[in-house]
Parts: sequence; structure tokens; C-alpha cells
Amino acid sequence: MSVAKHIIEVRNFTKKYGNFTAVKNISFTVDEGSIFAFLGPNGAGKSTTINTLCTIFDKTDGELIIDGKDVSSQKASVRSAIGVVFQDSTLDKKMTIEENLKMHCVFYKVPRNEVEERIRFVLTLVDLLDVRRKTVAALSGGMKRRVEIARGLIHYPKVLFLDEPTTGLDPQTRARVWEYVIKLQREKNITIFLTTHYMDEAEICSKVAVIDHGKIIAHDTPFNLKKHHTKDRAYVTTSNPLLLEKLLDERNIKHTLKEKYHRIDVENKADLLHILSECKGDISDIEIRKGTLNDVFLEITGREIREGSAS
Amino acid sequence: MRVIYALGIRNLKVFVRNRTALIFNLLFPFFFIFVFGEIFRNDFIENPVSFMLAGIIIATVFESSLRVSSNTIDDMTSGFMKEVLVSPISRLSIAIGQFVSSAVVATAQGIIIFVIGFFIGLRITSPLTIIYAISAMVFVGIVFAGFGLFIATKAKNIQTFQAVSLAITMPLTFLSGAYIPFAMLPDVLKWVGYFNPMTYAVALFRAITLEKTHLPTSELINEELAFKIGGVMIGPMEALGILLAFGIVFLLLSTLAFIRVDFSRMNRIKDDSIEI
Ligand SMILES: Nc1ncnc2c1ncn2[C@@H]1O[C@H](COP(=O)(O)OP(=O)(O)O)[C@@H](O)[C@H]1O
Ligand SMILES: [Mg+2]
Repeated sequence: MSVAKHIIEVRNFTKKYGNFTAVKNISFTVDEGSIFAFLGPNGAGKSTTINTLCTIFDKTDGELIIDGKDVSSQKASVRSAIGVVFQDSTLDKKMTIEENLKMHCVFYKVPRNEVEERIRFVLTLVDLLDVRRKTVAALSGGMKRRVEIARGLIHYPKVLFLDEPTTGLDPQTRARVWEYVIKLQREKNITIFLTTHYMDEAEICSKVAVIDHGKIIAHDTPFNLKKHHTKDRAYVTTSNPLLLEKLLDERNIKHTLKEKYHRIDVENKADLLHILSECKGDISDIEIRKGTLNDVFLEITGREIREGSAS
Repeated sequence: MRVIYALGIRNLKVFVRNRTALIFNLLFPFFFIFVFGEIFRNDFIENPVSFMLAGIIIATVFESSLRVSSNTIDDMTSGFMKEVLVSPISRLSIAIGQFVSSAVVATAQGIIIFVIGFFIGLRITSPLTIIYAISAMVFVGIVFAGFGLFIATKAKNIQTFQAVSLAITMPLTFLSGAYIPFAMLPDVLKWVGYFNPMTYAVALFRAITLEKTHLPTSELINEELAFKIGGVMIGPMEALGILLAFGIVFLLLSTLAFIRVDFSRMNRIKDDSIEI
């Protein structure tokens, strides 16, 4: 693999709100052109980090660099390299959808002859083209979110920050938005930095940083995270549990009986296949489940990622 | 330029779309014509109606531009200012965009009273006066919109802004000669008035409306169109300079406030953003 440039570098970043430390001395890098996800429960410090990287929160300590520019001292250059969809609404509610998008084009110097076409495109993406003359204040919560996302996708920044972009979207829109975001990354080499607590979204990212209580507790590819922190499990239903248990115990494989099936940790697939073939006449059902990123979080913290209230 | 224009138009739309505020803003000046009309019927003023109207027009421009500046606070609390400030546009053009629109609204109001003035006795002889008067309104509007914008960037919520602007507007207008002639004020308040930039806006605008800018400064003192403070004469040109300096200071201060803004210090707003 070639060594990609680090488009984002964060070193020893700390952010305090008064006496409360929301982000504690975190460091990480993001490769140019990759999709990077912050995965963590509410209150973990994801938005705090994004807002600081976007130049609108002041850091308490540390160093944050985007595209070689310091986020605190070279704000203007950082701003021209990024695009953001914030978690909270930043729409101009008194204006129409179209006026909101046009204003964004002015802010980001979208060439005049492309404005119309791009607005049309992003509004089609989030299925709002027909209502583009409506005032934002009159829209439903879900529609507002879609306007917000459409606006964020109008221009082509070097780094696109998406803070829980798809939370609250219907499945079809979510799928369409994702498809387009991946297209932007592939075709325009835009680096995507997102936060999410949807496992399936984190799953398709190049790298994931698992964050909890203001600290990064794991940072790797989804594949490696699962490899190191989870086990595949087989769920086997058999009419002869005694034979299965005996064979498993002989090879020291961990297992538990759950109602009708046995849950078996898969350390070595060949071993398991061997055992299963020996009692194949008794087995009525087999399912093998891969570890998920949720299991990763569970393994490291002892908690489910989506516990606790939404914010 | 594209940014200033777009922001300016946007702010004007916000103003026009808010019907209640629009109607209130248009009716407001009539109230003052009604209340203060009598005060100026005294003998040291040559043309009391024009004199009074000029004061009311410029005070309205002042108040209006200050009030319209408070829209910036709505933009802060609604989150829209985040979208503006995270973008790469220059902080100076953000500030200019905000207060050019305030000045336009303020001038529009000033012009309305000016027109009504002709029906109740305002007299001018040269059409040039109209151009000068409108330019002066725009200028004063911009200067005090800068002031209003600065308060808005500091106030953080609309209640604070209203309290602060009331605490500032009242003394500034009443100690400016716009509604109450200086001659009627006790000495102490006169001195306060001399430090009030509004005083010079009023004097300048009156000198223009009464078509007396060409007269020597010493002849303007009687009608409070110029002042002699200590040994220093302050005529129309000096007034212009004072206002210009005042405007530039607040333009820079509000630009600085936009440069320095740290949203993590803002009150967090829980609104309809997203429901999970
Ligand atoms: N402006 C703020 N003032 C005070 N505390 C804040 C502010 N923003 C966030 N916090 C607190 O900091 C912590 C991290 O918040 P946040 O970064 O929004 O988490 P996440 O985005 O991961 O849900 C939370 O405990 C939150 O209550
Ligand atoms: Mg968040």
C-alpha cells in the first residue's frame, strides 16, 4: 500500500467547557481521500472535535492541522479547504430552501453558471426539488435535515465533515446520500470525516476511531477492529447436545447452551467444521455470525454503543 | 462584493418578511412627530417644523439601524451564523453585509418621514438638498448600524440586546438635541450631550435640511447646528469627521468580534434540529 498523505493531524487535543473536560488529550490522523468515522455514544466528544476542527470552537490544548494548516492560527485557509454538515441545524429558517442553497454557493464561490445545476442535483438527491420554494421554517424536522445535507454537498471541499449526517433520515434517502458521498470520495478524492452511531455506516469506512468519554479507545480499519476485539460465533441446534458438548470440550472450545441452541466461539474454523461433520446427522440448524463493531465497543467498554439517551 | 450584496439582500428580505416589525417600524416615527411637535415651537428657531422634522428623521434612522442590527442575534441563536462563519468569506464583508442592510432599512424609514414632512410644512429650496439629505441618512444609518452590530455581537441573546439598546438609545437620542433642544437641558446634561455622537448626526442633518451648510460655523451655533465646546468649534465638516471615526471604530470592532467568535461559549440551543 502506498503511504497516503495525512490530510488531518490531531495531536494531544483537549477541550474543556469550564471545568468539564469533554475531550481528553486525543491524537489521530486521517489519510487523504479516505472515509474516516468517529464511532461512539452520545456525549463521547465527537461533535466537540468536529466543531474544533472546523474552526468555530476554540481548542483548550493541543495541535490540530488540516491540509497542513493550523486550525487555530490559519483559520481562513482551513475554512476554504473544508465543508461541514453540523449536527445542529444551521439553516437560515426565514429563507426558502433554494435561497439557502444559493447563499451557500455565494459563500463557497461556486461558479455562477453551475449554481442552478448543482442545486437541482442535490435537491433531487434528497428528494426536495418540488418544494424548493418553501420557507425552511415551514418544513418538517426530517425535511430540514435533508436541506442541511443537500447544502453541505453543493461544493467540493478537500475535507467534508458530516456530523451524524444520516440520523433521522428515511432508509431510501440514507442510501442515496451514502451512495453520493462515496462517489464524491472516489471521484473527487474528497476526504470524508463523519460521526455516526450506525454500525453499518462505520462498517464501510476506511478507518474508524472508537471514542468514549472523550478518549479514543481504538483506532483501526473496521476489519482489524473486529479481528482484534471480537470473535465469530456459531449458533448450532442439535438433537444430540451431549455429543456436541463432548466434542467441543475435547478441543477446549468455549460454548454455552442458550435455550434451543449452542453458542460456540469460533477460534479455528477447521476445528469447528471437523466437529460439526462428526455430528452432522443430529444438526438441524447452523448459523455463523461475524463480530460487529457494536461487539467491538461492547468488548472494550462493556456497554452497548446506543445505550443512553439521544442528544 | 458578491457576498456583501447577497448578505445585504438576504437581510432586507428578513426585514420585509416580518410583517409585524415592518408595520411597527413604519408607524413608529409618527408617534414622535405627534409627541414632540410642540416642544420646538419657540422663538430662537427660524423654521420650527423643518427643524423638528430633521431631528425626528435622523433619530428614526438611528433607532432603526440599531434595531435592525439585532437580527444578527437571531442569526446567532438560530445557528445560521455558524454556516456563515465556518465559510471562507472574509469577516469584514460579513460585518459590512450586516450593516449595509440595516442602513438601507433605516434610510427607507427616514425617506418616508421626509416625504410626509412636505405635507406638514417641511420646506427646501434646492433639489440638491434631497440628495444631500439622503446621503446623510445612509451615512448615519451605516455608522450606527456598526454600533448596533457591535452590541449584537456582544449581547448573545435578544433580551440582553433589547435591554442594552434601550439603555443606550434613550439617553443617546434624548441628549442629542433631536427631540429636546440643548437650550432646554441643564449644563451637566449638555456636557454629556457633547460626548454623544448622535448630537453631531443631528446637527449635521439639520444643517443640510435647513440648507445652512454654506454659512460660517459661528452663525450656526445659535440654532444648535454647530457647537463651541471649550475653545473648539465643531461645524458640519467636523461633525462628519467625528461620525466617520465613530463608524470605522465600530466596523472594526464588530469585524473583530466575528473573527474572535467561539461558538463553544454560546448558550447551547436545543431546537428542532434532529429527533433520533
Ligand atoms: N457548548 C457546550 N458547553 C458545555 N458542555 C458541552 C458543550 N458542548 C458539548 N458539551 C458536553 O461535552 C460532552 C461532549 O459533547 P459532544 O461533543 O456534543 O458529544 P457527541 O457529539 O459525541 O455526542 C457532552 O458531555 C456534552 O454535554
Ligand atoms: Mg454530537
